[in-house]
Amino acid sequence: MTISSATALQRRALHRGIISRYAILWVTLALFVGLAVSTPGFFTSANLTNVLHQQATILIVAAPFTLTLIAGAFDVSLSAIYVLSPLVALQVQIATGSTLLAVITSIGAGTICGLLNSIAVVKLKINSFIATLATSFIYFGIAYVVSEQSILSPTEASFRDLSMLRIGPFTSATIFAVLVLVFFWVLLSKTRYGRYVYATGANAEAARLSGVRTELVLASTFVIVGAAAGFAGILNASQSMSARATDDFTFVFAVLAAVVVGGTSISGGSGAVWRTLVGAIFIAILGNGFNLNQVDPILQRVVLGLVILLAVGIDVISKKPAR
Amino acid sequence: MERLNLTTAPSSSIRLSGISKAFEGARALDDVCAEIRIGTIHALVGENGAGKSTLGKIIAGVIGPDTGTIEFDTTPVQFASPRDAIAHGVTMVAQELALVPTRSVLENVYLRAEDHFGPFVRTRKLRDRFQQLSMKTGIFIDPSSIVGELSVADQQKVEVLRALARNASVIVMDEPTARLATDEALGLRSIIKRLREAGTTVIYVSHFLEEVLDLADDITVLRDGKVVSSGSASGETTGSLVELMIGRTVDTAFPEKSFPQEFDGPRLEVRELSGSGFADVSLDVRRGEIVALAGLVGSGRSEVLRAIYGADATTGGTVMIDGKKYERRSPQKSIALGTVMLPESRKTQGLFLNFSIKDNVSISALDRFSNWSFVRPRVESTSVSGFLDDVRVKMHDMSQPVGGLSGGNQQKALFAKALITEPRLLLVDEPTRGVDVGAKRQIYDLLTRLAQDGLSILMVSSEMEEVIGLAHRVVVMRQGHVVGTLAHDGVTERQVADLAFGKPSADTEL
Repeated sequence: MTISSATALQRRALHRGIISRYAILWVTLALFVGLAVSTPGFFTSANLTNVLHQQATILIVAAPFTLTLIAGAFDVSLSAIYVLSPLVALQVQIATGSTLLAVITSIGAGTICGLLNSIAVVKLKINSFIATLATSFIYFGIAYVVSEQSILSPTEASFRDLSMLRIGPFTSATIFAVLVLVFFWVLLSKTRYGRYVYATGANAEAARLSGVRTELVLASTFVIVGAAAGFAGILNASQSMSARATDDFTFVFAVLAAVVVGGTSISGGSGAVWRTLVGAIFIAILGNGFNLNQVDPILQRVVLGLVILLAVGIDVISKKPAR
Repeated sequence: MERLNLTTAPSSSIRLSGISKAFEGARALDDVCAEIRIGTIHALVGENGAGKSTLGKIIAGVIGPDTGTIEFDTTPVQFASPRDAIAHGVTMVAQELALVPTRSVLENVYLRAEDHFGPFVRTRKLRDRFQQLSMKTGIFIDPSSIVGELSVADQQKVEVLRALARNASVIVMDEPTARLATDEALGLRSIIKRLREAGTTVIYVSHFLEEVLDLADDITVLRDGKVVSSGSASGETTGSLVELMIGRTVDTAFPEKSFPQEFDGPRLEVRELSGSGFADVSLDVRRGEIVALAGLVGSGRSEVLRAIYGADATTGGTVMIDGKKYERRSPQKSIALGTVMLPESRKTQGLFLNFSIKDNVSISALDRFSNWSFVRPRVESTSVSGFLDDVRVKMHDMSQPVGGLSGGNQQKALFAKALITEPRLLLVDEPTRGVDVGAKRQIYDLLTRLAQDGLSILMVSSEMEEVIGLAHRVVVMRQGHVVGTLAHDGVTERQVADLAFGKPSADTEL
């Protein structure tokens, strides 16, 4: 083989790599452009900022959840934490009148839930899916107790500003989501900790022998994602100015959909926060496009399901490291 | 020992001719010819890596040979799969048992050989068959007990029963007694003898020579993938077998060993260390010294290495590094103390195959390349590429996945990954496993150079040449204990083999 043909081959391989590696990005861009051209009302500032706002709580949890999945674990209890934390927080808010204290409480409650999950997974060595399924029931149960089975509402009208304050064209919830995304993006791709997360999920034994404290790394992802679910929960309560124990147990599925459509592998060791962002945007504008074109919501769900199958199927078939 | 005469073909025999097999370029079997008489116990013996297990697997159809033929009664057979082999009455009881641990003995024995009525398994009929089988073999196990709850010895018996339940007339057994206690091993031996009386042919792979001499009618001795002798067991002794198995000179593929006048004090001192698979192990490694931990596979060598490194827990004993007691060991503490381990299996324990070469090499030393917690990519790349050059990894660039490299280059990358932590003590498990000859020599040169620069090396190796060619001292282990230490001048393969195989020391003199 001549040198020139070798480099041509390499270049072709490289191009193929760029196409397949960033496939979700190209598809999302294509969908965006397609909707902008075809659908009136899509490419407007009001619509797009609204779409972002609606994705804020999902993104705040999906970003750290990407780390949990990359570390090779799973957390089903995110819905329960998302429901329980703001209930605890609103009781504090009702008692004290302080929004700040409510936010701290909600994040704190999420952190404690995450800590319990990490103990079950890392110390008791229970499969993470099962362990968090079990703790979900516990957290939902506590949520009923905390809320006394009624709808809790904050006492201050200013509580709404936590998520709905306008900053330029964006809401405060959107800004929080962006900050959280950037934080985890940097954490995962630029720091030692991020490398350890990948290593733990890719080959836990090799990571341990390389000096990585794999148990600590794995535990930390549960605590972080728990805290994030607590924060997302209080933002959600702020958006609706209420919280109740029967809220949104499908939340974790929306979060997971964003992560996997982005291309993060649920078998661990590969993925990225930018992928989760793109995945979430893809799902959001797909839904938005359907709504604007008045597509039957039932059909929307079917299409979303097919999209997830396709995204994960491509991931399984190509088996390429996605990073 | 009688040489094979391949011109006269007795009717009832399995004939192997011209069998060769290579793994990743490394030759495991080379033109193997042997004849296995039906209804006998035929032992395959040899050193670690001589190719005895590989040959056993080829006979049982677990793997296919690259070249060569197997003839059953002069009919050539070719097994595409173990299932194919079973159809011909050949099956294998592997070193790693292949049972379904959560199901009962009965289900395991008759898996895929169930009596059935439509989709329903006829359990009572199976039980009757099981009882007949027990009577025939003298193996008695409760058919309803769960396999995972049985002892290893009983699980092995289940494997044997399963083989017989498939009407196997030829059973290949790979180190069946390696994990058994003495009395259990004796029990299995009498079962094997009973099988022979019942007409079954047993191909017995083992490195326990006394066992082999007790059981076998015929013995085939392998060395470096070649048959050195094949024929009747009568007249053989442990000594004569060891002689046949080693009988090889260390070739010149090793760098000159340099012996400093005196090694500076000890870097590693291990005293009476005990743990799973080994007990009361004491050894020293001095500065700039290469110490080999030799012994048969399963003698506890790797376990000792892992225990020193803190990868596995221990039950007693002490480890001192640079004169200081090292307690509550863990890999990451070891690295901080200047001790690093290259694990036995680079694919499952050493490397992240999907990660780039760079990310693999730097993982244990990221604190050297980071400010606060942020990795500094340029510092990292510069350092990594320096170490990759040092160990001579051939690659396009270091952002390619490490899994795409050849075995030799992967192994060299593993060395770079260890050396980047700037260790003073290197624990190496099988430094050249699955590596081609050229890369081997480079790794030998590297180890020698590192030792000359003052690095202390404790090396586990199954390749006798390596042990003799590289080590200043050889610590030999047998069944979890240190059975002897051989100092530099005039360590011979014979001495190591005698200790490793547990031959009485009185016979050591030639």
